[in-house]
Amino acid sequence: MLRFAAYREGQGRILAAALTTAAAAYVVWKIAESPDQAVQFAFNGLSVGAVYALLALGFTLVYSTVWFFDLYYGAAAAMGAYGVFYLRTSETVGGNHVNNPYVSAVFALVVAGVIAWALHESLFRRLERRSNPTTLRAASGLLAATAGIYTGFVLTNPDHLHMLLSPAAGVTVAVAVGGVVYGVLQRLFVGTAAAPLLIISAIAGCVVGAYCGLLVAGAPGSRLYLSWIVSCLVAGAVGVALYRGLYVYMRQRARSPLIMLVASLGVLLAITAATAIVFESAPRPLPRAFGSDSWALWGGNIKGFNVFTVGVAIAGFAGLLLLLKKTALGRTIRAIGDDEEVAKVVGINTTVVIAIVFFIGAVFAAAAGLLSGHDTAIQPRMGLLLMLKGWIASVVGGIGNLYGAVVGGFALGMVEQFGIWDLAGEWKDVISFLILILFLSFWPRGLLPRG
Amino acid sequence: MFTGSRRLPGLKRSVRDPGAFIRLARSNLELWANLVIIAWAVTFAILQGTGFAITLGTVFAIWAILAVSLNLVVGFTGLLSVGHIGFFGIGAYTVAVLTSNASYEQLRTEAIPTFGWPFFAALPVGVVLAGLTAVAVGVVFNRFRDDIFVLVSFGFAIICFNVFLNARAVTRGAFGIHEVAKPQIGGWVFDDELSFLALAVVFLLVVVLLSWFIVTSSFGRVLTAIREDERATEVFGYQVTHYKLTVWVLSAMMAAAAGGLFASWTTFIDPNSFVLLESILLVSIVILGGLATIWGSLLGAMTFVLLEEGMRFVPGLPDQYVGQARQVVLGVLLVLLMLFRPQGLLGRYRL
Repeated sequence: MLRFAAYREGQGRILAAALTTAAAAYVVWKIAESPDQAVQFAFNGLSVGAVYALLALGFTLVYSTVWFFDLYYGAAAAMGAYGVFYLRTSETVGGNHVNNPYVSAVFALVVAGVIAWALHESLFRRLERRSNPTTLRAASGLLAATAGIYTGFVLTNPDHLHMLLSPAAGVTVAVAVGGVVYGVLQRLFVGTAAAPLLIISAIAGCVVGAYCGLLVAGAPGSRLYLSWIVSCLVAGAVGVALYRGLYVYMRQRARSPLIMLVASLGVLLAITAATAIVFESAPRPLPRAFGSDSWALWGGNIKGFNVFTVGVAIAGFAGLLLLLKKTALGRTIRAIGDDEEVAKVVGINTTVVIAIVFFIGAVFAAAAGLLSGHDTAIQPRMGLLLMLKGWIASVVGGIGNLYGAVVGGFALGMVEQFGIWDLAGEWKDVISFLILILFLSFWPRGLLPRG
Repeated sequence: MFTGSRRLPGLKRSVRDPGAFIRLARSNLELWANLVIIAWAVTFAILQGTGFAITLGTVFAIWAILAVSLNLVVGFTGLLSVGHIGFFGIGAYTVAVLTSNASYEQLRTEAIPTFGWPFFAALPVGVVLAGLTAVAVGVVFNRFRDDIFVLVSFGFAIICFNVFLNARAVTRGAFGIHEVAKPQIGGWVFDDELSFLALAVVFLLVVVLLSWFIVTSSFGRVLTAIREDERATEVFGYQVTHYKLTVWVLSAMMAAAAGGLFASWTTFIDPNSFVLLESILLVSIVILGGLATIWGSLLGAMTFVLLEEGMRFVPGLPDQYVGQARQVVLGVLLVLLMLFRPQGLLGRYRL
């Protein structure tokens, strides 16, 4: 009876190939039957697949760095969506306004803690030798407290989001533009003294930053999009806080990845239930974003927002690829993924780099969560299912491979949508999990294995 | 199971040396856990009156059967299955479909076949059906380990839930099945709460004895060996796959029995009782109580049931949030356990 292993090696490949061929033939036949409907399904598949691709990108990045499944990832997706709901909805929960000071205080504290740690790790560790540690500690605490209070203000005054965030946006743009201009100038005028270049780039940065800040301050319509950024950043900060506050200690003792998995399952359980307590467990709509009317294209309809989602997925992919392949940080991330102990020996501060990876991963999850939330509705337990879909997409594409994550995400979205052509729409979760089992049985390394 | 046989270190020393008290408490954590939870349960039963205690007892018995059966898989093969609720649902739905006599006049479109079997005829069918499903699933899942196994068992739970929700011709989908029959032996119907509690406890005893027999038999020793070192056991000539599959199927059948009991107890089931979340809660019960101990699973289930009811007395917590608050507490408990005591309260084995 259990000659299955041998059977799998031999006929298994043939069976798998036959199944794939049958599926392909079925799709081709359906397309030939009604091309218009096929275009519609393809559009649906694209927009769903973009969300899955985003999830798979973040998931595969985190997993291939730390090699355990962090289920906080699902909670981050839900938090991204609920962050937007928290900041921008006009609905009420149980007769009260959604926005409540206790929730804001919790997140402000988390952000303050993360910033305090980031300052400690980045700036003050370098200044330690030159100045008094007490002063440094006081300055770091003061800066972190300021950041926490600012976050608290932003979270409790969602109606003035554009005013409150305009200085932050201005400073960010100023620093970015200044940096880029300085870099370009340095390349252009090799051998010139640094001071004039610095002054010029500082002026350029300040001007552009101030302009951007004013632009944001004068546009109340931008509040929704600012709330996207805020909720992604907050979800990322919570991810970092979890990593630094919990996973670091746990990884020192844990014998197996299952302990980490169960612990993060506890985190997911607690956050999901807390979300349900704060926002009630019924599904809710997010406020309307742009592009909610559909365009007719090649006989199908697609919403502008879905095109935007696909764009975000591709941009996220490109950004992550650049980060991993072209920058020093990316090289250290890949080094840690290959062998953490050796990376530590070589002198990489693994804690900081992994914290950055967790931040990026949580931001990707939150972005996927809020994009899918705008497309459909949000509910507290959406996170778990979204995370599982991201997990499946990264398994299908090949865990640890960015190209694989994108391919897997879009392929999963397409297969789900084409699969429910003749079935009812409710079966799409079943389809994706059957695909997962099929892949794990026959192609456990995915479509594009990690190189 | 009880570790009371261990001698208590002198209490007198703890008065002089505060550190000794902590050491004392820590060295007898298992004993303390037992005492606290049982005292809690007794206090509850006394304070809330017998009717409430009987209901709680039945809920506890059903969760305990599930926890003990899942512990066989998690504690003795090291496979963390989050899909156990699927087998529970298969048992429940089989019993419900086979015994329900309800005629759904208002909703003719959702009519399903009625059989009107007695409970004790339907239950074995459900158990066998779950066993057959477990064989099929086990053969496919056999090759997965650790976190990949967790992922596919998530998948199994979701597939089962979707089948219950969408196979409307059999399960009536979201409308659920009404009028599930109460168990009946001869002319004796278990239709009041007390007799049902007695039946549930009998089921629980049977499951506990069966698990105890499995664990202490030579079969159980081979299972322990597989958990500790699968490769080595294979080298000694044991068919590892057979052992793992057998315990997996047995565990699924026990869960299905619990499902049948549950369906008959509530007399109405719908897919919402079999969502993935329930399965995660079940896993947290098992881990909380401790892996590879039967007594630990019983304590875990007891804690779980008492937690929800205990939450009702937290001041300022509205009743509709009790279930969610329990999840928050369980989640935090899971994290703390994984940090400080990865084998669970009374566990013999670390994940």
